[in-house]
Amino acid sequence: MAGYTHLNEDRKGVLVDITKCIGCRSCQVACKNWNNLPAEKTSFTNDWTNPPKTSATTWTRVAFRLIEENNGGIKWRFVKNQCFHCEEPACESACFVHAFIKLADGPVVYKPNICVGCRYCMLACPFGVPSYEWDKAFPEVKKCTFCADRQKEGLGPACVSTCPTGALKFGVRKELLEEAKQRIAASPGKYQPTVYGEKEYGGTSWLYISDVPFEQMGFKTNVSERSIPSYTWSVLKWTPYIAVGWTAALTALYLYTKRRAEVEEDH
Amino acid sequence: MTNHWVDYKNSDVFMIIGANPAENHPIAFKWILDARENRGAKIICVDPRFSKSAALSDMYLRIRPGTDIPFLLGMMNYAIQNNLYFHDYVVNYTNASYLIDPEFKLPGDNDGLFSGFVPKEGDKAAKYEAKTWQYQKDADDKTKTDPTLQDPNCVWQLLKKHLARYDVDTVCKVTGVNKEAYVEACKLYCSTGVPNKVGNIIYAMGVTQHTHGGQNVRCVAMLQLLLGNIGMAGGGVNAQRGESNVQGSTDMAMLFHLIPGYNPVPNATLHKDWAMYKEKETPKAGYWSNRPKFVASMLKAFYGEHATPENDFCFDWLPKVDGRDHSHMAIFEEMEIGRIKGFFAWGQNPAVGGPGAIAAKKAMERLEWMVAVDMVETETAAFWKRPGADPKSIKTEVFFLPACGPYEKEGTVTNSGRWAQYRWKAIEPLGDSKSDLWIANKLFLAVKALYAKEGGKFPDPILKMKWDYGHGEEPELDKVMLEINGYTVADGQAIASFAALQEDGSTACGCWIYGGYFATDKDLKVPNCKRRDNTDKSGLGLYPKWAFSWPVNRRIVYNRASCDPAGNPWDPSRTLVKWDAAASKWITNDVPDFAAVDAKTKEPNPPEKSAKTPFIMNAEGVGKLFANGMKEGPFPEHYEPIETPIQNPLSKQQNNPLATKRRGGFSFLAPVGSPDFPYIATTHRVVEHYQSGALTRNTPYLAELMPEMFAMISPVLAQKLGINPGDAVVVSSARGKFTCKACVSPVMQPVNVNGASYEIIGLPWHWGYQTDAPGASANDLTPCVGDPNTNIPEYKAWLCNIRKA
Repeated sequence: MAGYTHLNEDRKGVLVDITKCIGCRSCQVACKNWNNLPAEKTSFTNDWTNPPKTSATTWTRVAFRLIEENNGGIKWRFVKNQCFHCEEPACESACFVHAFIKLADGPVVYKPNICVGCRYCMLACPFGVPSYEWDKAFPEVKKCTFCADRQKEGLGPACVSTCPTGALKFGVRKELLEEAKQRIAASPGKYQPTVYGEKEYGGTSWLYISDVPFEQMGFKTNVSERSIPSYTWSVLKWTPYIAVGWTAALTALYLYTKRRAEVEEDH
Repeated sequence: MTNHWVDYKNSDVFMIIGANPAENHPIAFKWILDARENRGAKIICVDPRFSKSAALSDMYLRIRPGTDIPFLLGMMNYAIQNNLYFHDYVVNYTNASYLIDPEFKLPGDNDGLFSGFVPKEGDKAAKYEAKTWQYQKDADDKTKTDPTLQDPNCVWQLLKKHLARYDVDTVCKVTGVNKEAYVEACKLYCSTGVPNKVGNIIYAMGVTQHTHGGQNVRCVAMLQLLLGNIGMAGGGVNAQRGESNVQGSTDMAMLFHLIPGYNPVPNATLHKDWAMYKEKETPKAGYWSNRPKFVASMLKAFYGEHATPENDFCFDWLPKVDGRDHSHMAIFEEMEIGRIKGFFAWGQNPAVGGPGAIAAKKAMERLEWMVAVDMVETETAAFWKRPGADPKSIKTEVFFLPACGPYEKEGTVTNSGRWAQYRWKAIEPLGDSKSDLWIANKLFLAVKALYAKEGGKFPDPILKMKWDYGHGEEPELDKVMLEINGYTVADGQAIASFAALQEDGSTACGCWIYGGYFATDKDLKVPNCKRRDNTDKSGLGLYPKWAFSWPVNRRIVYNRASCDPAGNPWDPSRTLVKWDAAASKWITNDVPDFAAVDAKTKEPNPPEKSAKTPFIMNAEGVGKLFANGMKEGPFPEHYEPIETPIQNPLSKQQNNPLATKRRGGFSFLAPVGSPDFPYIATTHRVVEHYQSGALTRNTPYLAELMPEMFAMISPVLAQKLGINPGDAVVVSSARGKFTCKACVSPVMQPVNVNGASYEIIGLPWHWGYQTDAPGASANDLTPCVGDPNTNIPEYKAWLCNIRKA
């Protein structure tokens, strides 16, 4: 795909090993702390996941997953969700003004001064990640930045830096992918055989390994191995011209995406 | 801990019992997972709740709260019956071979009581006369032993007989643990009873907070002795402390029955003078025979030039206790009857964190004054305006002193592994907040000025106390630390270790076990507690140049027991110390816990010199399977929690016969099998909140994660009571009731005990009426009953009820 030749060989990624996560959520707090995001006024949630979903003020959060097995046993796992930072991001290809950019080192970042607020990115993202500041006068689209600012200074993401158990590991994506496969091979029968993010939607910067099937952890599985831009680029490049004058359509879109954000449970 | 956090990486099997490190000690899991990844270690988790730790374990066993003793005794029985114990270790390094008074009776032969029981009579509490719990002595006053372990009166035979009552079926019947899982767990854990495999028992408040908490810990120690897991890298009895500096504050004598360094507090009746104190409190053998040197040096540190051998180092100036109980619950009981008139709540929040909190808050109303020293206005500081109180009718004068947070001040924090680590100040204190040291200093100087002005009844201990920490606004920390470390009086130089302490007034030392923590490291040129060198030549994670581990920078205590009597490590891959026969000297990766070198000749001591005393702190020199210092018996025996749904299935003796109970507003208890309170309750924590939550509920990022108080119940109970997830529920006990949210989760399940099913309810204890994230306090409902050895309250097993609000 012609648009992604700029990616560095040693671009960065994060390996999430779900078997090592203790659900302490220090990643969640570190993210808010580093990015100066406000705390949300929350209320009790039965499964302890809180805030219940990612939003413009919560870019990452740990989902608590309790799986009751047929034999009466239970499994309890903790899954950190945030932007996957696709290798070939749909949000970027959907954005006709290029407010989303895939950096050569891996992060998918957003330029608020360019954004026109069409929110195509939100529709385009297969993971439902970008969130809109619905209640602000000058709203922006918000999501995890992969701490591109820290990475520029040679630091890992804030969330990774605070993980006490090594469930999150920051490094060169291709090396992490190798390590993930080694970990799977080294413990036969322990892990699921796939590395989530290796191929999903053309691959993502964030990679996951898990002992519990990914679909039970709230991941979209059986998805295309082709990136979304590879399907849509030829169409979406025309969107600036089509969009002009489509005020009514955009209003409808506003209502749709707002509603979608409200009903979204998993991210 | 006998060992330390990093050492977890050396364990082969973990048994996490009464602890939830994945939730409460997250960094523990870094090392547990390290051991799993690199050694293939297995993890067993024993808990009433399927906790986060259970979620990451290989085996989970659901246990009825308050039944750790049968669980652990049963495992010991399994080890012995199946010959899985470490025979050579047991024979050489424990008192298994010691002969006990033939009159000694086990509870199995004596209606659940040991011999020597004296029932309550009038005002006199029940007690034990320990006459029959003593070792048999020969004509030379030496303890008689039978190394063949065959004598019917030897500890080993008595232990075997005692344990025989705790067979697998009985244990499962009492504890509610699944039989197959139990046998599996016994097999797995007892697989460490061999030289080259080591098991680690991790516990916390789930083990200690019972009316038999002391005996629960004894079980842990005994099992580890049986399997040869003490003194070994990767083994140990590892108490995970409930707060980052609990170890440090206990070392400094936070508890009423101690003075610094675990020396007994002087008692007005028992210790009329220094000679009597020494006579009564100095064992003839073991390292505690040095006690007079430690206490004399402490007095010298306190009273400086005034303390001389001629005047008994001013021993008479030390405050003495009167023989009464002054533990937490006793203080509040006395507050309630108006005997305690003033109260310092200094970095503690008993209105949320203590048992029977409803009565405790009511008792505070009787105070004439209260000084609350904290970072925020806690529930305790605000007791006079709590919901339901009438501030106008409360006469207590409350002073609030804003204290610095941990990052606004300097000093050491001592972690569970006994590492005293210096922390530097990160930011200047906010607002008017002051360091605890500043507050203590000002307070003392003000009291001293008052004594100087007004005289008072007994001014000398105050006016003549050595108190010279500089003249600046902030006391000089280096001077305080030097005093704690100890110094030679003549030149004021820091002592390198407590071995230098004397009883002649030539040395001063505030807390002997910290001897050397402030001495300068010769290579790094910094005080030992400020060291940050992470080299680890042994590869065992000992990090000898990182901070300072008391005592004498020893990382793993009792490490002589890691070798056989001849000084060969049981497991060469974990060499802490080793006798090099060719070179005739000890190889020491860790600081040896024995005299490796003769103090006078400086020649190496051959292994036979220390082979009989690997446990130097015990007068016997060996580990105690039989411990006659415990108040309710030399072996642990199962007794029910004070509040329980059932009669003791093992004997006629329902509870720990010496469990402490309280009066007045602290006396309310549910009877056995109470129909009003049919469910078993246990308190617990969540990672997002710290202790009483005063700080964390004030931190929006944390309140966001865990905003409200909840009660954890099983789906079965929820269905029976028509409770849906998130419903408001009323939880009640004999002490009171409150409303919170229902957390309906399969992590909670009933236990089957003796053929009947009992529901368990989990209550986190972090909430109170202050902050923007307030909630009900679990401790409003907890009972005020305690362990006779420690007076720790029974937070972890009591009775409650729950209904939809």
